[in-house]
Amino acid sequence: MHIPDGYLSPSTCATFYALSAAGWYTSLRRLKRVFATRTIPMVSVFAAFSFIVMMFNVPLPGGTTGHALGVTVAAIVLGPAGSIWAVSIALAIQALLFGDGGITTLGANCFNMAIVGSLVAYGVYQLVATGSDVSSRRRVIAAAIAGYTSINVCALVTAIEFGIQPTFFHDAAGTPLYAPYPLRVAIPAMMIGHLTIAGLAEALVSAGMVSYLQRADINLLRGLGAAPIPTVSSASNAGAASARLWWAVGLLMLGTPLGILAAGTAWGEWSSRDLSARLQQQAASAPGKPANPSTVPVGLQRLASIWTAPFPSYAPPFVRSPLLGYFLSAMFAVGLLVLISLLGMAWGRRA
Amino acid sequence: MQDSYLEKTIRGLSKALSESLFSEQVARKSGLLQSLDPRVRLGGVLLLVVAVVACRRVEIVGASFVLATLLALRSRVCLTILIKHVWLVVLIFTGIIALPAVFITPGKSFIIMRPVPLSISASGLYSAAMLILRVETAATLTATLIFCTPWTHILKALRFLRMPAEIITILTMTHRYIFLLIETAKQMFESRQSRTVGVMPESERRKVVARTAGVLLSKSMELSNEVYLAMLSRGFRGEVRLLSDFRMAGRDYAALSAFIVTASMVVWIGR
Amino acid sequence: MSDHVADAFRLENVSFDYEGIPAICSLSLQIAQGERVALLGPNGSGKSTLLRILDGLYFPTSGSIQFHNSELSKDNLNNQQFCFDFRRRVALVFQNPDVQLFNPSVFDEVAYGPLQLQWTKEEVIRRVEETLAFMSLSHLRDRPPYRLSGGEKKRVALASVLVMDPEVLLLDEPTATLDPKSQSQVVDLIQQWKGSSKTVVTATHQLEIVEDIADRVLVLEAGTITAAGTSSEILSDTELLLRANLAHAHRHSHGGEVHSHPHLHGHTHSHDHTHEE
Repeated sequence: MHIPDGYLSPSTCATFYALSAAGWYTSLRRLKRVFATRTIPMVSVFAAFSFIVMMFNVPLPGGTTGHALGVTVAAIVLGPAGSIWAVSIALAIQALLFGDGGITTLGANCFNMAIVGSLVAYGVYQLVATGSDVSSRRRVIAAAIAGYTSINVCALVTAIEFGIQPTFFHDAAGTPLYAPYPLRVAIPAMMIGHLTIAGLAEALVSAGMVSYLQRADINLLRGLGAAPIPTVSSASNAGAASARLWWAVGLLMLGTPLGILAAGTAWGEWSSRDLSARLQQQAASAPGKPANPSTVPVGLQRLASIWTAPFPSYAPPFVRSPLLGYFLSAMFAVGLLVLISLLGMAWGRRA
Repeated sequence: MQDSYLEKTIRGLSKALSESLFSEQVARKSGLLQSLDPRVRLGGVLLLVVAVVACRRVEIVGASFVLATLLALRSRVCLTILIKHVWLVVLIFTGIIALPAVFITPGKSFIIMRPVPLSISASGLYSAAMLILRVETAATLTATLIFCTPWTHILKALRFLRMPAEIITILTMTHRYIFLLIETAKQMFESRQSRTVGVMPESERRKVVARTAGVLLSKSMELSNEVYLAMLSRGFRGEVRLLSDFRMAGRDYAALSAFIVTASMVVWIGR
Repeated sequence: MSDHVADAFRLENVSFDYEGIPAICSLSLQIAQGERVALLGPNGSGKSTLLRILDGLYFPTSGSIQFHNSELSKDNLNNQQFCFDFRRRVALVFQNPDVQLFNPSVFDEVAYGPLQLQWTKEEVIRRVEETLAFMSLSHLRDRPPYRLSGGEKKRVALASVLVMDPEVLLLDEPTATLDPKSQSQVVDLIQQWKGSSKTVVTATHQLEIVEDIADRVLVLEAGTITAAGTSSEILSDTELLLRANLAHAHRHSHGGEVHSHPHLHGHTHSHDHTHEE
């Protein structure tokens, strides 16, 4: 899931750097409130730990091996703020020291794996585990579910980043300049690998580690980032900081209808029906030229039908206006993410 | 076979260690990049990478690739290293990803493959070429930078580029403890391997990985507590102070201008 | 000890709990300036904990500790001036050098302390070079810590505290895990401070170095001091040493009989030095 340089356009990279910066800033402030001067050694050692766990080969059912991210356990033990930083630093070192993952895409990689990964992992874990005793089996299952969900949401967000490239970033002739596959191809392509291998690896490693810690070092599972050191303005600070983050997400959501502005259906994002019509049009307008396929290539047709989105053409069937449909789809997607995280955190605070 | 996952992990860990040692060797040689101030090196290469990513014409990206290769060669990164560690890896990874695009990107047909209902379009080729060239160029540039610059210099250069001192310290300490934890993890896996007789059931193998990760986590906690005390003991109070001792020479300014001009040209001509 | 020699440390009924478990129990102690003290005790006796209390890293749960008549409390150490002053004058060398070597190169490591204490850049560089030369580490100045041998790491750890010219040195098992050559190097260093104004407190369970490094020996068992005396007094009290788990008994058989002898690893030896200039 580490995106190398060259797959994402400069503006995509910049956008995600901005989003990640917001995430880094808010979580660092929270970390310093909780850990004060211990923040530096704590984040450093856990970042080193994340880095190494990413290198473990995890044996999977069926004889394959996969790699886990470790973000789930980091989120459980350190809390989302610590996990965001630990994984981001590990990713930064992978990019800067080992050339694993690009430098322009570091912002996007951190957003996908460290920020979204941590929030989803923590939220789902809290959702499933709250109310159970810290040494109960439910915690182990919660870790597994959280790990699986988190990795797949990461993969989904990554796939979306790939998938929107051809739409927005192509040359005058319509050739994609960066990642060349539209959403219809990018999403299933990415999800297949993660639904089966990477998600499973993360789920199994997270569950295994929680199970081990329940026996060996149960205090770690009680969460180090439990409660911030009470200060006079801590409550309002936390509120203001999170509010800023949600503002940023809200603005991004508002910007999604910009996609509609591209005339007609986005280039490359044709359904089989659209493509067929377009090809016939081309064939009709240039009768003497060497034949384009006048029907949609069989392979493309097959590929395109693998994934039928809940909202085809980004418009729920009951919505007439395409603009509104587009926006609603974006809201739904982000809302789903937000809901999971918020629910999880709310449950966690009640416990 | 039953230990292949242990083997693989151990090999992966050792490889990480040896790769960074290798780059220290190249960094000691006297080449083009090595002779420049680390800040100019870092800033210049970053500028070029951004420029290559922003460029929209395949010929210009191709030219940048040639330029990047020349830079690598002049910085004593030999061709075999480039091919083995960078180009092949990218080609395989990105090549596999780009290959279907050659066939399914709609556009004017270029080559029609008779027995299979697939055709290659010009735009498909162009698109795949852009992606592969771009990724190769960026990878060549970053690899050269990494090979030629010791980690400590990268960190100090980042400091100069206005990254907060706390983050520099975190990066420094993380890097330091990665090596310690790699050794610890390796030893744990190796001792496990030597104690394994016969085939382990797959669930048992998974338990080994999870347990090792768990032990590593506990040790990490302990380590971070001890390191914290050691820092306090020498006067740490939350702020970080670093020593900076770089001086820019004439050729650094010249190189910096060259980087800026090249990057601008790549973006302008390639727009 | 003369009454006019200042007390570096004065502990009165200090108790300390670590995560709920008592580690130090009602301990009272005085250490005079310039003294060289050895803390003897098996693992788990509280030696490391006591050293950390002396270094102001742990604070007593009850009782008081004073350094040159100033209370070592959390509040006092929050004051920047007091903190910097104390941190410069008292130095702790941890048992595990990896914990103490967290900077990217040897030079940076030795420079860390002075930098945190806000010395000027020129001062820092000058003192670091001096200290590296003194400890014969100049050739390793750019080496990262993970490429150092055990003995080198220990010397760098020592250098990183000596650079600040502390008055008090707290050493936690300084010779553990070292090869014999490195061990003797460390012992030589501590011997150099005999009769100087430096106060040295060494925690160790290696009896053979005690004589060289200390004038007074304190035996620590389960968080309390069970015996105190000169090194020769303590080292010859084999019963005490056996009880405190610092020595072990060998059993061997002669013919049909089995003997059991207490076995110490300490030994006395004499040196004949001839120097060639």
